[in-house]
Amino acid sequence: MTDPYKVLGVSRSATDEEVKDAYRALAKKYHPDQYSDSPLKDLADEKMKEINEAYDAITAQRRGGGYSYGGAQNPVHSSGSSGFSDVRSFIMSGRIADAEQILNGVPAGSRNAEWYFLKGSVLYRRGWLEEAKDHFSRACQMDPGNGEYSAALNQAMNQRGGMYGGYNPNRNMSGGECNTCDMCSGLLMADCCCECMGGDLIPCC
Amino acid sequence: MFGYVRPYKPELLVREYSQYKAVYCQLCKILGREYGIFSRFALSYDCAFYALLALCAPGGQVEECRGRCVCNPLKACTYLSSPGEEYKKAAALCVLLTYHKLRDNLQDEGFLKSLGSRLLVPLASGQAKRAAKRYPFLAETVEAAMEGQRQAEKNLEGVDACAEPTARLLEAVFGELAKENERQKPVWARFGYFLGRWVYLMDAAEDLGEDLQSGAFNPFVRKLGLEEKKELSGEERAWAEEECNAVLNATAAQVVLALNLMELERFGPIIRNVGEKGLPQVQREILFLHVKEKSRRELKRL
Repeated sequence: MTDPYKVLGVSRSATDEEVKDAYRALAKKYHPDQYSDSPLKDLADEKMKEINEAYDAITAQRRGGGYSYGGAQNPVHSSGSSGFSDVRSFIMSGRIADAEQILNGVPAGSRNAEWYFLKGSVLYRRGWLEEAKDHFSRACQMDPGNGEYSAALNQAMNQRGGMYGGYNPNRNMSGGECNTCDMCSGLLMADCCCECMGGDLIPCC
Repeated sequence: MFGYVRPYKPELLVREYSQYKAVYCQLCKILGREYGIFSRFALSYDCAFYALLALCAPGGQVEECRGRCVCNPLKACTYLSSPGEEYKKAAALCVLLTYHKLRDNLQDEGFLKSLGSRLLVPLASGQAKRAAKRYPFLAETVEAAMEGQRQAEKNLEGVDACAEPTARLLEAVFGELAKENERQKPVWARFGYFLGRWVYLMDAAEDLGEDLQSGAFNPFVRKLGLEEKKELSGEERAWAEEECNAVLNATAAQVVLALNLMELERFGPIIRNVGEKGLPQVQREILFLHVKEKSRRELKRL
């Protein structure tokens, strides 16, 4: 195995805190959730595995035990009640063209929320981000309670907001400062996440 | 291409900035040597970025040399030369793209406005033929992208379909740079796809106001429901620009995702600066600060 310190980009004399920080920064960078809809997912998973192993190795060396990061979460997964299980398995195995062909064969009258979600997922993987977003929001309109659909839409909306790249006019370019706007939007997002899972953080919204 | 792909200078180290400049100057030198002095006007940040990326690919080598600026003999200049084909390919790409851009202008603009392009096309056409002979792959890819673009605009396609040809162009060209590295190839290609998409969308967003006035095709017009408008009020404009910015952000996010996974032999910090800081800065300058309306010259300065 390669030198775990090299993988995390820290020197052997780094403190535990520094190792942890380096690990966190890398884990954020390669976190599989970000790549869940991308064809680069395998490579990201590999990188993630590499840094997990490196971190585990260092912590094991230093005091034994360690902490591992949550696994991949792919928004498109096989589900028992799906009317499009074949499309889902095509998408999961990266056969986007096949998935699209089946979807396009569905007559306009019988396109349900799941159809729009899956079509959106296909478009997203192809890089057609705008139409993907439109399909996700259509799916959410048709089936507002579905967590899978709203998670996909949330991800698309967050990327549009400039959280992961591009320019956000409300944020200072030069520093990672946290202003009141960020705090409120952070709280609102946390609330949304809680609601997805059935809980509630801010009872009034 | 349009000169949008460049680093955000305040966040570069001085050493990195001089490396970037040395690559830019070397490309200028090679461009003049291979395609004549006039072709130096075709030099752009985009092609300099292509050269930079080509030098990051496995097997690239660079050597620093000192000399004088080719345009101003009084100015000392550092060049970063390479024994490989990187700069020659970048120069060919530059010439090819400029030729197609000029030809596009001929078709889009009126007689008087296109007079400049009319004079330059015969000159550029000869050089483009020479470039195409040396690098048929580049010429075919550029040609296919231009044809795809014409088709998409003729059929009044949506934003995604219109951005596709430019995205595919960079996807093919960057994918080719990764050479035999099968593991990295899809990453480089995907980086190219979204960078190309971003460049096309940035250009469309910048031209939106002008295109509304002249009635020229622009994919954002239908997306934002502006078909009936000729002129935008201040508020409408700010809203339209925020919408365009959101579309660009979504694309830039994908650029960053691909960038995270790229293995770069050198210039890593410069390439990352372009993707993570340079693109947002261009969005900011064009859509929020309207720098180009204030002074064209300020931006052109390196």
